[in-house]
Amino acid sequence: MFRVLAALVAFTVLARIPVGFDVGFKFDAALAVIWAFGLLSLVLLTGYVGQISLCQATFAGVGAYTAGLMVAGFHADYLVAVVAGVAAAFVLGVIVGIPALRLRGITLAIVTLGIALVFDRYVFQDHAFEWFTGGTAGWRVDQATMFGLQMDSSKHLMAAYIVLLALFCVVALLMVNLHDSGAGRRLRAIRDSELAAATMGVNLTRYKLLAFGMSAAIAGLGGSFYPLVAGSVSPQPFWLFTSLQFAAIAVLMGVRYVPAAALGGVFMAVVPDVLTRFGHGTFMGRAYDISYDWFQIAVGVLLIVQLIALPDGVWGDLRARALHAWSAAGALGGRKVKVA
Amino acid sequence: MGAFAAYTIIGLGLGGIFSLAALGIVLIYRTTGVLNFAHGAMGMFSTFVAWQVFYGWSHPFWPTWLSTLLAVLAGLIFAAIMGLTLEFAVFRWVRTREPVVKAVITIGVLLALQSAASLIWKNNQYHLPIYLAPQQATFQLAGVPIGANYIVIVVMALGLAFGLGAFLRYTSFGRAMRAVSDSPTSASLWGVPVNKVSAVSWMLGSLVAALAGILITPFINFDTTSLTLLIIDALAAALIGGLVSLPLTVLGGFVLGLLETYPTIWIQSLGFPRLVALLVIIAVLIVRNPRGFAVVAK
Repeated sequence: MFRVLAALVAFTVLARIPVGFDVGFKFDAALAVIWAFGLLSLVLLTGYVGQISLCQATFAGVGAYTAGLMVAGFHADYLVAVVAGVAAAFVLGVIVGIPALRLRGITLAIVTLGIALVFDRYVFQDHAFEWFTGGTAGWRVDQATMFGLQMDSSKHLMAAYIVLLALFCVVALLMVNLHDSGAGRRLRAIRDSELAAATMGVNLTRYKLLAFGMSAAIAGLGGSFYPLVAGSVSPQPFWLFTSLQFAAIAVLMGVRYVPAAALGGVFMAVVPDVLTRFGHGTFMGRAYDISYDWFQIAVGVLLIVQLIALPDGVWGDLRARALHAWSAAGALGGRKVKVA
Repeated sequence: MGAFAAYTIIGLGLGGIFSLAALGIVLIYRTTGVLNFAHGAMGMFSTFVAWQVFYGWSHPFWPTWLSTLLAVLAGLIFAAIMGLTLEFAVFRWVRTREPVVKAVITIGVLLALQSAASLIWKNNQYHLPIYLAPQQATFQLAGVPIGANYIVIVVMALGLAFGLGAFLRYTSFGRAMRAVSDSPTSASLWGVPVNKVSAVSWMLGSLVAALAGILITPFINFDTTSLTLLIIDALAAALIGGLVSLPLTVLGGFVLGLLETYPTIWIQSLGFPRLVALLVIIAVLIVRNPRGFAVVAK
């Protein structure tokens, strides 16, 4: 009950935030939710099940291209496009999960890196796949409807944002509930020891494939809204480096925590835009120009520092400190809180 | 037949570069347990330093051999310093952590190096090669002309593989490196300077990466990303060697180079070789038992 309430409060507050801003920041807000879906998919796959993946942006990209194909190619309703995008990402996720049945750790990282590179350089860019990617121009989505309402990108960005945010709150709530459910305990048992989990009767094949499929579906759900928000699809947003950034930012923010995904999504969408908008000018008589590249440098350096100093991520560390402070306050007469 | 021979030579040249890149990965993985995803990025950065010296800073009246020598030296010195810096600043502090954590840290290094390079040298495609051998020099082998630069690559890959192998086997420092790769704790109990060994491994690995990057410049239009992404081919070659065997790694590099080159006779696609690399990786992981090299990782 508390969780539902928290999700509702988060939704109402977050839905209001972009209202007063210009179109650019509304776009950032919608993009933040799309990236947050990508990071949430890693919370499920890495945080809960302990499987490493360097191709989450590929899943999001497959969702985006499928949705673009449905809308621009077959003139489908956007709801149908989203369902198709999620389904395509789910299928690809299960296929990627098959080698993961035998691999773990760094070998799985190598294979998923290879998959991300093949999609980045080959599938999303090659002539042989133009039926899927819409050629070099990509799919243009300017006349989309959803629930019978007009949802095209330029004028109705807020509508797309609200739908995305509502979906994110629902999926995040489901994820938090999954953590403590029977299925969630089985998934976490796989993370801690696959051998022990199998001994306790957990069907490894089923749960690992399901975890990969569901994780890909979550990333694909965010990605399938990309054509609606950006107006078109291109390979650039879903290339290999986005996948690497997903992995880096998910770990940086705290890969075991659902709210960290939201935090990471905002970080990933808003910081580069703020840098390119306000990162140039003069300071004390000297001109400076901070480009997008500084964002990725910062991500890399922060990730290294975090892994050395705060292994549980930014959110995990803040949470632990808050809980410690709370229980210290509890010693003065308040309620005792168990620090996990 | 002539075309086939020409493609074979291109494939062997490409394979030599994959072998060189993979040798560095294997060296670092064996001695420090770090699977270095940033290997391509490290080679890329050193290559661009060499390129900068060759095309940006060297004087137009200097003879070409002097510019080349200075450029390669600058690239290699930079690579050595970068390898040592990474060891001292980053990997020394995570020696006891799980292999996956160390691998994720190298992704942070990759992202930082990649964007730093794109900040300095922008996202342009360059085709301004650095030739180690004279560009026009060719040798005739059974009627097929072979560029001297291809021979340099192949000789260097084979030489480094056997040189490194001999170094690890016959010198006392090489024995120390192998001891650390077997067990850092017992090695340090026997008085092996573990920190020094891992610093030297990082330096050597970075040097080999720089060499691979400089040698590839005549063959591709390179930019900051394409050199960074050389990592997947290098990893494929390293996996063929099981992440431990130097000769098998070099063989794997040559095989992969040929496998990626022959399809370009029929398929004109920049992305298709990546698919070949992925298929090789998956095939190797199916054929080889993955637990075989989990032992080294600890």
